[in-house]
Amino acid sequence: MKPDDIYSFCKQLHYPRWGGTIKMRKIWISVVCAIITSLIIAGCSQKGSSNDDAVSVWVHTSNETPEGKAMQKIIDQFNEKYKGEYEAKIEFIPRSGSGGGYEDKINAALTTNTLPDVLTLDGPNTAAYAEAGMIAPIDEYLTNKDDLLPSIIQQGTYDGKMYAVGYSESGVGVFYNKQMLKDAGVDLTTLPTVENPWDWNQFIDLNEKLVKKFDRPVIDMGFNDKSEWLMYAFTPFLWSQGGNIVSEDGATANGVFNNENAVKTMTFIQDMIKKGYSTISPVDKGFNTGEYALKFGGSWTIAEMEEYPDVEYGIMPYPTSPDTNKLVSPSGSWQYAMSATSDKKEAAGTLIDFMTSTESLTEITLANSVLPAAYSVIEEVKDKVSDEMNILIEQNAASAHARPVLPEYPQVSRIFQQTVSDVTYYEENANIQTLLDDKVTQIDKVLK
Amino acid sequence: MNTTKKESLAAYGFLAPALLLLGLFLVIPALLAIYYAFTDYYLLTPDKRQFVGLANFIEIFKDTIFLQSLKNIVVFVLCVIPVQVGAALGLALLINKQRRGNIFFKVAFFAPVVLSLVVISVLWLYLLNPSEGLINSLLVNIGFDAQPFLSSPKQAMYTIVFVSAWQGAGYQMLIFLAGLQNIPGTVYEAAKIDGVSKWQNFIYITMPLLKPTSILIMITTLIGAFKLIIQPMVMTQGGPMNSTITPVYYIYQTGFSDRLIGYSSAMTVLFGIVIAIVTLIQSKVTKEENI
Repeated sequence: MKPDDIYSFCKQLHYPRWGGTIKMRKIWISVVCAIITSLIIAGCSQKGSSNDDAVSVWVHTSNETPEGKAMQKIIDQFNEKYKGEYEAKIEFIPRSGSGGGYEDKINAALTTNTLPDVLTLDGPNTAAYAEAGMIAPIDEYLTNKDDLLPSIIQQGTYDGKMYAVGYSESGVGVFYNKQMLKDAGVDLTTLPTVENPWDWNQFIDLNEKLVKKFDRPVIDMGFNDKSEWLMYAFTPFLWSQGGNIVSEDGATANGVFNNENAVKTMTFIQDMIKKGYSTISPVDKGFNTGEYALKFGGSWTIAEMEEYPDVEYGIMPYPTSPDTNKLVSPSGSWQYAMSATSDKKEAAGTLIDFMTSTESLTEITLANSVLPAAYSVIEEVKDKVSDEMNILIEQNAASAHARPVLPEYPQVSRIFQQTVSDVTYYEENANIQTLLDDKVTQIDKVLK
Repeated sequence: MNTTKKESLAAYGFLAPALLLLGLFLVIPALLAIYYAFTDYYLLTPDKRQFVGLANFIEIFKDTIFLQSLKNIVVFVLCVIPVQVGAALGLALLINKQRRGNIFFKVAFFAPVVLSLVVISVLWLYLLNPSEGLINSLLVNIGFDAQPFLSSPKQAMYTIVFVSAWQGAGYQMLIFLAGLQNIPGTVYEAAKIDGVSKWQNFIYITMPLLKPTSILIMITTLIGAFKLIIQPMVMTQGGPMNSTITPVYYIYQTGFSDRLIGYSSAMTVLFGIVIAIVTLIQSKVTKEENI
């Protein structure tokens, strides 16, 4: 290769060929420079959303999604109903996969004091936003508080006041492949129900039976998803055992996350890997293709399974601790809240109440195929959704437990996630007590 | 207006966009970070931030995860530089020869550089999957055990080293190639007359003449390597057991998930100082050897 070649090669990689004389180029460059400079200046001096009489609403979804479309419809209905009195304007700020884009915008608006009147926020953010004085209590505006599921109240309540209200719910159940269970000699009529859940021992017996038959891991518990999932899906085991991550007053994890209950729970989780029932690196879509007989999944899994009509599946409730036999299942969702700086509190409160009325909640629940957030909505949707969905709905109403409402939630959640992930390395972390003592130190450092 | 004045005015005009952007996105944020490092800035309560002196810095030295991340990045840098620079040099030598299909190889070697790091990471995530990935299927077929590349605390960092080197080598290859092209052919011709072997040719002619290029590559690769974040973020989330958490990733987590801007700024400042020192030492060492 000659020097000329590499020169032209580099040139092709980096620079397009420029035509024209040198003088023309100079003019072009100056024009481009001027445009860039003015764009920067224009970009910096841009004002936040205009402050007129309408209630501004920010939501984290796109207006292309079923959820976004339902929200737009609800806002339209609100504007119709309160014509001449109140008006609401919705702005869609789609978040990226991990929730990035939207929260960045909220944080930026916070520093420049341009928060909207009403905003959506993820369940675990309630405490941090309330503690920081970003959002205002909304108890007085909600007319249907008694109708909301306990997990929704729990999730939105901080310091005794309701700051945010979830507009849907989520939950996790144990999906099972009917054929594979039959092949392993399981009588499907003996499977657990929400009224009669199985405890961990019975659940392990089932896994044992399946492993004997198939001679490979049989359940996908999502251990490879090292994110919020490990918090969301695995804390219910701890709560079922009667344990917790931090003390009731949120002051310390010592004596809580390292007590006997926590050790028992983590031992159960560790055994799922140690005994070969589950795997830390499951095959992608393993349940859908018959690799695994069991899977921890939610309402989104039901939607996903529609593309795999060959797999006949059912859903059983979460396994419970043998000590308490108390059914506890994951829950959590996005919520509506009112910004503390809003100068249209009355209108914003009316809007939130409207958006969480039975009609509005039903609209969004059906559009988004999620679990209902209120008892009246369950009545509305139960005939319109599949049997599998109804099992999740039933479990949710009976046993959903909101994630801890703590300002330091992100750190506490991450330490819990790491704990679950760490115990799956059973050789390195054979002594669970030592591991938990270490994690308690980490949590207490965060809580101080 | 005389010509000099006019020209310098024009020069400043051309500089303006670059200076404005640099100031806006580099200088001002850097100064702010230094300021925040001495405050307890919590992302959600910007107005309540207070000056806390050196408290953040004292905290850092007690933070086992940050210390672990420093250890990890040292391992990464020490491993990735020889692998990546070695691979780049090897590839450059390979395609430096006139050969059929050279363009294809050039593009093939350079392609990973053009692709987004996230895409690369996801791609390797599939290739390295323990039960269904291509690499493990291959290993099993030729009689080895399947390896838990990313899910083993012992292997995860080295796997990331390999993926990063594979991704980055194409860029350094191009610079090496330019360096190789700059070596005058006459030197080789003279050596040919003296009857040197191919190996001697490489050791005594190519290597010394390539030294300025190598130093440039070493420094840029070093600084780049310290900034590792995307690969562990996408492939391992810093796990298993914090074996792949890196300082920049940890700074990002504390700043944007945990909202502790003050503390994460302090780590940024400290880590910036570490990089500056390493770079200084490196340039001192290489200068003494005289380019």
